[in-house]
Amino acid sequence: MTTIESTAVKPDATALPVRAGTSPMAAALRQFARSPAGVAGAVALLVIILATLFGPHLYGVDPLDIAGAPLSPPDADAWLGTDYLGRDILAGLLQGGRATLTVGGVAALITIVIGVTMGSLAGFFGGPIDTALTKVTEFFQILPPLLFAMVLVTLFGQSLVIVTLAIGVVSWPSAARLTRAEFLRLRNLDFVKASRAAGGGNGHLILRVVLPNALPPIIVSATLAIGVAILFEGGLSFLGLGDPNTMSWGLMLGQNRNYVLDAWWSVTFPGAAIFISVLAISLIGDGINDAINPRLRKRG
Amino acid sequence: MNLALHVSRQLLNAFGLLLAVLVLNFCLIHAAPGDPALVIAGEMGGASAEVIAALRVKYGLDKSLLEQLFTYLGKVATGDFGYSYYFNEPVLGLIGQRIPATLYLVLSALVLSIVIGTVLGIISARKPNGLFSQGVTVISLAGYAAPVFWTGLMLLLLFGSVWPILPVTGMTDVARPKVGFAYVLDVLQHLVLPATTLALVYIAQYSRLARVNMIDALTADYVRTARAKGLPEFIVIGKHALRNTLIPIVTVAGLQFGHLFAGAVLVETVFSWPGMGRLVFESILRRDYPTLLAVLFFSAVLVMAANIITDLVYRLVDPRIRSGGR
Amino acid sequence: MSPVLSVQNLTVTMKGSKGPVPVLENLSFDVAQGKTMALVGESGCGKSMTALAIMQLLPEDFRVTSGRIMLDGQDVLTSSPKELRSLRGNKMSMIFQEPMTALNPLYTVGDQIGEVLRQHRGLGRRDAHQQAIQFLKAVQIPAAEKRVDAYPHQLSGGMRQRVMIAMALACKPKLLIADEPTTALDVTVQAQIFDLLSELQDETDTAIVLITHDLGAVAELADDVAVLYAGRCIEQGAAEEIIAHARHPYTRGLMSCVPHLRLGKTDSHFAALEEIPGMVPPLGARGPDCAFRARCAFAAEVCRTQPQPPLDRVDASAAVSCWRHQEIAP
Repeated sequence: MTTIESTAVKPDATALPVRAGTSPMAAALRQFARSPAGVAGAVALLVIILATLFGPHLYGVDPLDIAGAPLSPPDADAWLGTDYLGRDILAGLLQGGRATLTVGGVAALITIVIGVTMGSLAGFFGGPIDTALTKVTEFFQILPPLLFAMVLVTLFGQSLVIVTLAIGVVSWPSAARLTRAEFLRLRNLDFVKASRAAGGGNGHLILRVVLPNALPPIIVSATLAIGVAILFEGGLSFLGLGDPNTMSWGLMLGQNRNYVLDAWWSVTFPGAAIFISVLAISLIGDGINDAINPRLRKRG
Repeated sequence: MNLALHVSRQLLNAFGLLLAVLVLNFCLIHAAPGDPALVIAGEMGGASAEVIAALRVKYGLDKSLLEQLFTYLGKVATGDFGYSYYFNEPVLGLIGQRIPATLYLVLSALVLSIVIGTVLGIISARKPNGLFSQGVTVISLAGYAAPVFWTGLMLLLLFGSVWPILPVTGMTDVARPKVGFAYVLDVLQHLVLPATTLALVYIAQYSRLARVNMIDALTADYVRTARAKGLPEFIVIGKHALRNTLIPIVTVAGLQFGHLFAGAVLVETVFSWPGMGRLVFESILRRDYPTLLAVLFFSAVLVMAANIITDLVYRLVDPRIRSGGR
Repeated sequence: MSPVLSVQNLTVTMKGSKGPVPVLENLSFDVAQGKTMALVGESGCGKSMTALAIMQLLPEDFRVTSGRIMLDGQDVLTSSPKELRSLRGNKMSMIFQEPMTALNPLYTVGDQIGEVLRQHRGLGRRDAHQQAIQFLKAVQIPAAEKRVDAYPHQLSGGMRQRVMIAMALACKPKLLIADEPTTALDVTVQAQIFDLLSELQDETDTAIVLITHDLGAVAELADDVAVLYAGRCIEQGAAEEIIAHARHPYTRGLMSCVPHLRLGKTDSHFAALEEIPGMVPPLGARGPDCAFRARCAFAAEVCRTQPQPPLDRVDASAAVSCWRHQEIAP
């Protein structure tokens, strides 16, 4: 007599165990590690972050102190020279990095949050919601971002918070467009329909079904957004619109720009710092892109 | 007829969006902390008690917000964008003076970046893994990451003290003003550095784009057909592959007008170029809000115009869009 | 009369990641004026590579490593790029499988046909335009005067292919290579295209190399056939003879794969619809022995131990590469 138990399929003890650690995350990280440019970028960024975190303390010089004669070239006392007030440039770099990187990171976060929200709602629901949201996106797109941010900061005050918010608020359109395109593409795929048929509500579908699948290009976009925000903050500070009480790389460039012909070090080093940071982030972004976006990988 | 309908729809859309910008301006004036009258008067110059009182009446600041909005819009419709107490001129006139300089800068940077970017992209497409190609990639990354105000300053340093063969400030030689053809030459000389600085960022981008598109085009079926017809290589590339490559570049370029503008603000500041960007910088220093807001509006106008023109050019160049009626 | 095209011992190899891999081995055939040679086989058998080799349009990584290709007495493989350019579109032309992507979407069909005339016949714009209209009429495109200024996306698939034919025949080439010209088209249109090719060939006496896996087309159009399998020619001869009396097991399998609708009649030769089990060996996995051995119902010890035999002349109009073809003859 065959019982259910005896005919039930028993686990095959000889079956190969599933290899632990093959989650998509781990696979992506491994792929990222294979790209020399990406790894180089990650290392560089790590060095910069560590420098700004521990540098000021290790170097021990207050960036606001007068360290020597104004506009003196790099020497044993001030390794990268002094600025127009006589302040140590290296100290300024190490300290200023904190503001620049923080503003960059947080502003990028704001950009992504707003952009992804707008884009996902537009792409998922389509119809009149999409039209309305797209119009809003278009509206924000015709205002040149720097100008708009400048107006906002001028009107609402030059604090670190306002600057960060302003950058975040003017940069979201491209993230929104990207997210919308992904959602439009994904919402008609079968697994979404299956999830809905199984009783998933809209919120569940958006957040737990579609969004995780739309993440790869969003992650890449977020990474690059940090670089954009850093450049943005640099630009605003350069024009004198940053927080005047906080040292930042852009501020150093802006304050010393009239002396560039006499004291090249006061301008070259802060700018180079921005350059290297953004470069590192771009390389990381490219590395991530290659690792998790095989179908978008461009030839050559 | 199809085209006319399309353009009218575009213009209507533009009108709506620009109206929204004006409303935004209005909201910003009132949302900013402080007295709107002070905002309108600007914080410098002319902010005497009588002027402020007069402004209150003129702009109806004691009336309801909605009435104020209509007053504001009405004024704009007549060309009254306010008065700059710092520059002592109506804002509209001020902007009118500065727009040409910015347009020279932005348009030359645009043309320069498209041409050089495309050429670099095409050359590196022929040998995608060669040294030249990799060099172009490196320059692309660097061009994108380097802040435009930094490259501007570096170039200013280079040509200001190390190798002084080009002027580094202003648009014309103020000490010895020139006329006629010599004037044009003078402007062009002064234009080199600012335009190049602005173009560098985009050269990086377009060469990357051109390279990818060219590689795609070169391996496309219609290029194989062209070769199968025995056409000489320069026609295969110059006629068949090139046009398909250029279309996406021109489209992208047109849509990036807004960013170009932002870059222009920074470049104009570095090189003291007398355009709208520098006007923005000066207005910020003096808290000249009417000018600032008007610049915002006009740059939106220019961006909108660039978008419409790009769309038209795209339709003209790609016949699939024309009859497909996208 | 010497043949228009003479391919002798043509071998094409691909530069693989682990070394050179042959994609076509030792193919020889001649095509005389006004005749049609069909190259038949499954995907990956090397027939398209043959066409591209003749036109010297092989993609990067592919190279002719031995053999000769003589076009009207001129050695194609040793011709300079300049000479090749004057041959292409002029003495030899090619039409491709996908007319939509083979035509440049940004230029009118008239411009693209006219291009060939301007290049090889030195015609001016207006003359070329007029001629283009004539050619569109010759390929039976209705309303040619209007259609000449149309863009490729405005035409149907069949019309686009006709445009390609017009473009290919505009300079009255001696040789036309048609690489699967109807695979991307609807069935009814396919027949029209083949009829058109047949008519045009009668008028112009062009030699045609027809690359196809459509045996029906072969039966209608071809004078001679070469059957390719895994880069090797395994049977060759007059079309009628091969179709009626296929000797190689693969060819026989092919013939029985074709559904023959004959209501109420069963032909002993074409019985049930059979399939050939297995798959073509991939590139790089082909040994010197017979390429078809793994799938062959008649495979014997000799097939495994001996290399693939050269084509053995059976009679004036057929040759086959099979160790056992005499024993297994039906």
